[in-house]
Amino acid sequence: METAIRTENLSKTYGTTRALVSLNLEVPRGEVLGYLGPNGAGKTTTIRLLLGLVRATVGRAEIFGIDAQANPVEAHRRVAYVPGEANLWPQLTGWETLYLLGRIQGRVDTAYRDLLIERFDFDPTKKVRSYSKGNRQKLILIAGLMSRADLLLLDEPTSGLDPLMERAFRECVQEARERGQTVFLSSHILSEVEALCDRVAILRAGHLIEVGTLAEMRHLSALHVEAELDGTVPDLSNVPGLSAVEVEGNRLRCEVTGPIEPLLATLASTGVRHLVSREPSLEELFLAHYGADGRGEAGDDAA
Amino acid sequence: MRHSERYDERGAARAVAVTTARRVGRQGLLWGLLFGGTIAASATSYSGLVPTAAARERLALSFEGNTAWAALFGPLRRLDTVAGYTAYKSGMFVIILAAIWGLFAATRSLRGEEDAGRWEILCAGHTTRGRAAAQAAVGLGAGFALLWAATALLSVSAGASSKVGIGIGAALFFATALCSAAAMFMAIGMFVGQLAASRRDANLIGAGVLAGSYLVRMAADSDPGLAWLRWASPIGWIEELRPLTGSKPLAFIPVVALVVMLVALSVWIAARRDVGAGAFAIGETPKPRTRLLGSQAGLTLRLTRPTVVAWTAALVATGLVFGLVAQAAGSALRGIRGIERAIQRLGGSGSGAASYLGFVFVIAAGLMAIAVAGQIASIRNEEASGHLDHLFVRPVERWRWLTVRLGVGLGLVALAGLLAGVAAWVGAASQHADVGLGELVKAGLNVVPPAVFVLGIGGLVFGILPRASIGVVYGIVVWSFLVEVVAAVFDSNHWLRDTSPLLHVAPVPAAEPNVQAAVWLIVLGLAAAAAGIWSFERRDLVGA
Ligand SMILES: Nc1ncnc2c1ncn2[C@@H]1O[C@H](COP(=O)(O)OP(=O)(O)OP(=O)(O)O)[C@@H](O)[C@H]1O
Ligand SMILES: [Mg+2]
Repeated sequence: METAIRTENLSKTYGTTRALVSLNLEVPRGEVLGYLGPNGAGKTTTIRLLLGLVRATVGRAEIFGIDAQANPVEAHRRVAYVPGEANLWPQLTGWETLYLLGRIQGRVDTAYRDLLIERFDFDPTKKVRSYSKGNRQKLILIAGLMSRADLLLLDEPTSGLDPLMERAFRECVQEARERGQTVFLSSHILSEVEALCDRVAILRAGHLIEVGTLAEMRHLSALHVEAELDGTVPDLSNVPGLSAVEVEGNRLRCEVTGPIEPLLATLASTGVRHLVSREPSLEELFLAHYGADGRGEAGDDAA
Repeated sequence: MRHSERYDERGAARAVAVTTARRVGRQGLLWGLLFGGTIAASATSYSGLVPTAAARERLALSFEGNTAWAALFGPLRRLDTVAGYTAYKSGMFVIILAAIWGLFAATRSLRGEEDAGRWEILCAGHTTRGRAAAQAAVGLGAGFALLWAATALLSVSAGASSKVGIGIGAALFFATALCSAAAMFMAIGMFVGQLAASRRDANLIGAGVLAGSYLVRMAADSDPGLAWLRWASPIGWIEELRPLTGSKPLAFIPVVALVVMLVALSVWIAARRDVGAGAFAIGETPKPRTRLLGSQAGLTLRLTRPTVVAWTAALVATGLVFGLVAQAAGSALRGIRGIERAIQRLGGSGSGAASYLGFVFVIAAGLMAIAVAGQIASIRNEEASGHLDHLFVRPVERWRWLTVRLGVGLGLVALAGLLAGVAAWVGAASQHADVGLGELVKAGLNVVPPAVFVLGIGGLVFGILPRASIGVVYGIVVWSFLVEVVAAVFDSNHWLRDTSPLLHVAPVPAAEPNVQAAVWLIVLGLAAAAAGIWSFERRDLVGA
């Protein structure tokens, strides 16, 4: 399988701020990767390095095997980029902007472009300076998606969009996946990432601390269990992997890491009236990584 | 709670005043030094240029009553005195520049900040929009005060020189009269900023008002029967003040009234309209024009066309005016030994229209340098605003983009130089002056090399230190002007003069072009630009 993105010790230092430290990441073709991290973690920096907009301090970045730092123009033929902040030429109209960016990209699926305009309910006849923030974002999204590029680099692409448009965006990513396009999605909207992404990478203070499918990540973290028993809760001190145990008469609330069988066996002796177990949401995983201690290490200190 | 909210409110509003005052104040001080320097240079050079009473009388006789001259520079009075000469020599020049500066400073401080979205932040905090506008007016006032102080200081000290002898009162009145152009157009800028849909539209309307007031007073000064028209033009009011030639403070009444009324109106409107809206919105849903949008080069043309056209028109107008007055000026200057000597010092010879044109075409070189600095600023702003990201994430070569942008700058100066020369010839020929087309085309092209040099240095700094590029190019231009002023006042110091690219311009058509210097300036400029392009390929894109 061809690799869409490959980085090797990719690093960027601004003055004394280490925005990105030795990133080693591979994204196979056709994958939708969620790229998460707190503010200032280095997500935008990674994408700008992949685009060759900024120079790597150390390391390599490849897009479909092309060195993106040495040969950005070549790489850009296969890439579309959507930033979270749309700084477009205020004096051009929506149409003019789409025409210009399409011509410069060199490839536009015009039927798809028209579909996008309809789907996002976008009016391209006005000048950019008179669009609202959300409408500017729609324009930049349409401009990015309309080329049907092999790799979509999306940096908080839905910032400022209303929930309806957010749904339209999800449809677009689903379509892209079905067509075999690769998507690199940096986002703070965890439900969006949870719904769309095959794998998730988590960045903190410039370091990649976690990559994997959501299932794998969940596997590593605790399962929430809530149970109501026939009698009082038995002694659980011999059950491995338990934490956050709360007992209230015949009600139990706890978290289990690892296999759940030992807990079930112990509870079965008392008789279980009702039991719910729930996997952690991405939000809980995320907060587990950044909550309390995580924040303090975030890379914004030098900003 | 109450307490801290009220504190925030005042703090936020004061923040507008302080940031405005800081930025406008710095500019005001610089422009004040330039204006004061110009006034001082005119005053101190008089006794050297026309040393004898006979020469002075001759100067007065040939210029006073010359309507072409009066139409351009305002009524000429008492040219046989240093005061009258200073008023004529620096008056209109300073008035126009002060008005332009005041206009742009005001639209930038109010409308520009609003368009950039910074006002919404402040207004969402506890300050009201009307109050923010009032505070911005206070900031502009501080900038105006520094402009006035610097201009007044230099005028008074020049007046105190034994060669000049203009009293403190007269010098202060003169500085105040000229600077009042800045105050009036600041108020006009504030006001049109409330009416227009964007800063650019506000600048356009304000520039229209300025052009209108110039033309109205032009009509008033060219025909005594129309003299009353002067009262219909803000610039006319300044002429009615008659600074240095019989001060008439009565005309300060409309000046002050205009400023007070427009500032109050602006604050009133600001408090009542939506952020970002204007009284008229011009063409927000125009027909798409995609003819030039097929490539990045086309985009560059589309984005730069308005400035290129404006600068070319400005240089053509300048050339035409030079040409129109060349014959009259040339014969008036003939025999005035001081001026002939000044031309000889620059390497020129002869007298008449050609020598006058050689003398004044250096001004075109200055305008050209400002145009080029503006091109560098717009190149940097494309990057700082983030617009460039959208090109360079697509298959666009950086070197190609920068080459096209710098090429537009090069084309602008070449075209403007050529057309300025042709326009000067048209003007001169219409007055039957004895100067050939070839000579004047040469004069026009002669001012191109220094501009190429400034462009190249700008490209180099942009390639290496993008955030410094705007400061450096404008720095070179201001430095060149200062050196020119200093060199005119004191006996020119060779080393100092060599640091100014503008002073390498030979006074064509009064002299042959300095081919060697021109070639050097072009070669150095192109080499610097090439180095800048090379470096731009290899650096990070840097935001604001
Ligand atoms: N041009 C720059 N100059 C200096 N420091 C920078 C620059 N760009 C980014 N940084 C720093 O690099 C670090 C990473 O920034 P980056 O923009 O990549 O974060 P991010 O993960 O995209 O954050 P956010 O979620 O807020 O968008 C931050 O500490 C930031 O301050
Ligand atoms: Mg970011």
